[in-house]
Amino acid sequence: MGSENALQEGFLTTRVDAVVNWARSNSLMPMPMGLACCAIEMMAFAAPKYDVARFGAEAMRFSPRQADLMIVAGWASYKMAHTIRRVWDQMADPKWCISMGACASSGGMHRCYGVVQGIDNFLPVDVYIPGCPPRPEAVIHALMDIQEKVRNEYSVAQDGISGKESPSIAPARPKIITPEGDTTVSPSGLSIR
Amino acid sequence: MADSPKTPKAPSTLPFDFVPQEPETAVANNPHAKATTQVADVVDALKAHFDQSVRDLVVYAGEHTVLVDREAIVEVCRFLSEEKGFSYLADLGGIDRFTEEERYEVFYNLVNIEGGKRIRITIRVEEDTMTAPTVTGIFPAANWNERECYDMFGITFDGHPDMRRMYMPEDFEYHPLRKEFPLLGVPGSLPLPPQSPTGELTGDPFPAAHGHKPPKSFQEVKSEEDND
Repeated sequence: MGSENALQEGFLTTRVDAVVNWARSNSLMPMPMGLACCAIEMMAFAAPKYDVARFGAEAMRFSPRQADLMIVAGWASYKMAHTIRRVWDQMADPKWCISMGACASSGGMHRCYGVVQGIDNFLPVDVYIPGCPPRPEAVIHALMDIQEKVRNEYSVAQDGISGKESPSIAPARPKIITPEGDTTVSPSGLSIR
Repeated sequence: MADSPKTPKAPSTLPFDFVPQEPETAVANNPHAKATTQVADVVDALKAHFDQSVRDLVVYAGEHTVLVDREAIVEVCRFLSEEKGFSYLADLGGIDRFTEEERYEVFYNLVNIEGGKRIRITIRVEEDTMTAPTVTGIFPAANWNERECYDMFGITFDGHPDMRRMYMPEDFEYHPLRKEFPLLGVPGSLPLPPQSPTGELTGDPFPAAHGHKPPKSFQEVKSEEDND
């Protein structure tokens, strides 16, 4: 059969969602909203020792139009909150938000009139990082959580029942069909079968 | 082992002497006292030059604090700057003493860089007037410090070139470092940004604690502009 020849060559079948999520999750462009000392750890997270380029998120974009992941690092004052929200609104969909450190997540030690007690009062946060400040490993872990979240997203076309509650569907994964059989491949490259 | 873990050690006085003393003995007895704060001669000169205006002198921990009349502060600063070499204003700020009379205080920390000396001048401000003369004419560095003092306490400085708030938003109605101001602020006085691009400002300072989370952008209600 003709398809056997093709199988010997090796090819890949997938769904658009799986490929798009794979591409998105491995090319996140962070918007570094560095507000305090957490920003120093965020710089270490991007620097060679921790090397976030391994996760494809090394391209820090200071323009919100080019970014899709906002890392709020440090305490946000009420005055700055309006700027952060404005930058967030300027970022194009789809976009994600990491609240880095105790101050951004809850106000931290700044329990006072001038500091917003957690940026989730005005931003939809996806991942919170504890710590004061968190180590770069913790930021990498948060980035991996964001990647996992991206991989589990579906486009509107996927649920097929518009206007109704969609049943939970298993995450879309790329599938490689080889002469030995088909293998589901996790986006990190490890076979999860 | 001399001490078993159960016997508490006899309390001993730490070898750190911070008891206020006479300035002469302080330098001799206190290894931490700095000669930079010994400015008795400057205080004497101030008393001789501004006999009526010098109201009080406090020496604590070897540091001289001179309380002068509010109206005389510009002349005192000019005298110290031009005659005595205190040309550097290290700090300026307000204090809320929370007293019936002369509630607020403004302090001026001056440094004589060449002589290696420091002195502190204070003035008192009444609650019903809330004004003090500006010293920006002598120390341009006082500009932002006086703005901070105005922001935090509401003391206006006559003759200041740019009497605006330093930290808080322009339309903020309170002065946060006054004693009666609550630590967590007045609810509604500082609005949070809108929860969506076209929404209204958020008046509640703790919407997350009250069960409200900002919607994700794909969950936001479409505005009329989006439909166009």
